[in-house]
Amino acid sequence: MTTNNPGAQAAALAHAGPGRDAGQPRFTAALARRIAAIDWRVCAALALLLAVMFPFLWLVQLSLRPADDLFGESLLFVPSLDSFRSLLQGDFLASLINSLVVSTASTGLSLLIGVPAAYALTRWRFRARRRIALWVLVTRMAPPIAFTIPFYLAYRWSGLLDTSLGLVIVYLTFNLAIVIWLMQTYFASIPQALEEAAYIDGCGVWGAFRRVTLPLTAPGLAATAVLCFVFSWNDFFYALILTRTHATTAPVAIVNFLQYEGWEWSKIAAAGTLVMLPVVIFTVLVRSYLVRGMTAGSVKD
Amino acid sequence: MPALSLRNIRKSFGATAILRDISLDIDEGEFIALVGPSGCGKSTLLRIIAGLEPLDSGDIDLAGKRINDATPRDRDIAMVFQNYALYPHMTVAQNLGFSLKLAGRKPAEVSRRVEEVARPLGLAGLLDRRPRQLSGGQRQRVAMGRAIVRNPRAFLFDEPLSNLDAKLRVQMRTEIKALHQRLGTTTIYVTHDQVEAMTMADRIVVLKDGVVEQAGAPLALYDRPGNAFVAGFVGSPSMNFIAGRLQANGLPRFVADDGTLLPLGPVPSALDGRRVLYGVRPEHFAIDETHGIGARVDVVEPTGSETHIALRFAGHDIIVAFRNRIGARPGDHLLLSPRPEHVHLFDAQSGLRLN
Repeated sequence: MTTNNPGAQAAALAHAGPGRDAGQPRFTAALARRIAAIDWRVCAALALLLAVMFPFLWLVQLSLRPADDLFGESLLFVPSLDSFRSLLQGDFLASLINSLVVSTASTGLSLLIGVPAAYALTRWRFRARRRIALWVLVTRMAPPIAFTIPFYLAYRWSGLLDTSLGLVIVYLTFNLAIVIWLMQTYFASIPQALEEAAYIDGCGVWGAFRRVTLPLTAPGLAATAVLCFVFSWNDFFYALILTRTHATTAPVAIVNFLQYEGWEWSKIAAAGTLVMLPVVIFTVLVRSYLVRGMTAGSVKD
Repeated sequence: MPALSLRNIRKSFGATAILRDISLDIDEGEFIALVGPSGCGKSTLLRIIAGLEPLDSGDIDLAGKRINDATPRDRDIAMVFQNYALYPHMTVAQNLGFSLKLAGRKPAEVSRRVEEVARPLGLAGLLDRRPRQLSGGQRQRVAMGRAIVRNPRAFLFDEPLSNLDAKLRVQMRTEIKALHQRLGTTTIYVTHDQVEAMTMADRIVVLKDGVVEQAGAPLALYDRPGNAFVAGFVGSPSMNFIAGRLQANGLPRFVADDGTLLPLGPVPSALDGRRVLYGVRPEHFAIDETHGIGARVDVVEPTGSETHIALRFAGHDIIVAFRNRIGARPGDHLLLSPRPEHVHLFDAQSGLRLN
């Protein structure tokens, strides 16, 4: 262990050094031991973390600064929630609620349609299985911008432009591919013998799915749901193009703070913080499942 | 009326025929072992009986009722899987009581019945554990308990002991047999291990390439195998076969391909000159200093109770088993003579029994 630690080596060297002066080596040795006690890997990780987190932390501190000291250089200031307060008194709250409704609805619908589809694609060995699964994935291969004009024209024709339902449908089409592909790996990791045992014990196909397969894939289901929610929640592009006033989502509403009269920095910062919040909370809650979700099926249990 | 009756069962996966015209009647309370080499269709047959696999043609009757199209849950048959297939998210008690709960029994009744079943299986103290906290033998017992708890019409076992170590396997073998004696439930037991089949079953059904080679009591199969395949499959170490020709006129003799003359019991004279396989079980050789035939010792395997000796005999490699200890060494020569009353003759072409 110590050979891997440069600090420890330094300490050992200092210790072995000649002791001509009684005070000097003792001081050097103490310093070396101090240095040895520092775990440089932790330091590197912290530095990297700070670099990555800096824009986010800056955004959060900006949202808490009083309006008259927005670009002040001192990090010492009296935090105030004024920007949040004014934000929630305006139209932003409606957009935030709309974001929540649209993301929740599209996540729920994606799971409702995608989970049974993934199950069927995993368990039912029909001829076109692989081809259908690939087609589902192909919908995610083209860049989103390729679909904007068709979506826009179709929505204008059908009256779905600037409606929550319209956004739900767009996000549904994108999330379905995620749900189907992620859940396939989870279902494939459940041994079929468990379902057969359930059939023998008196379950039908649906009962075995609900009582045995689904509870065993619950962590994966949660991870998939969070991914879907975050993708819908974070979408800016489609919400910008397909909504105008009634169905704007929070990310789009932030842009409205950039006006001719000036940019409302404190509101932008506060709104950005509010939009980040659920994503951070969900990710922290299910992060171990997310990692397992990414690697599910890669190693035999 | 048989408890379970299979008539002309056929099954193919794609172009591969797995079962070709299987017919079998199983009596109430009988313990049947389905044995055969891997790929013989024994597991497929079991899954068809359980309702996990549809059949292509034929009929399955359970207690006189045709169940071809019944779902597994309507068949009232319990099954123990090779890998146990315990529900990992349920406790032992929930695993055991799952089928009763699904059948709509009251919770109090379920837990009473679960305890009733758990006690003789030694699971009473483990009811709150989850399957991953159990040893292999305990999991095996839970899987059995799950089958017993329902009081089904028949038990199906799919190679249940193949995941256990040798010592536990022998112990569980006895437990399953004792269980069958206690409950008297009709049992169908699939295994590739002919020792398991011999020791446990009332009747053994030997399958090969989707066809029943022979069905009968263990010792009947051992003493009078109907063909060369069954003769070679049943018994360990397996029967020795020597290829050659029959001489039925005068004193019946067998002439091995290398010219060695081997003794025979009475043989119908119509078989004179027929090419046959001369089968002798390892324990049916005697050391015979006067009439014995010279055999070179290759390998000596003492098992303690028996000594197995691999020899070169009449142009073939054979195994001979002695109950008494033989101080033979590789390279030694023994004078051996097969006991003519224990010789099995099979047609060289069809493999069918001739004597």
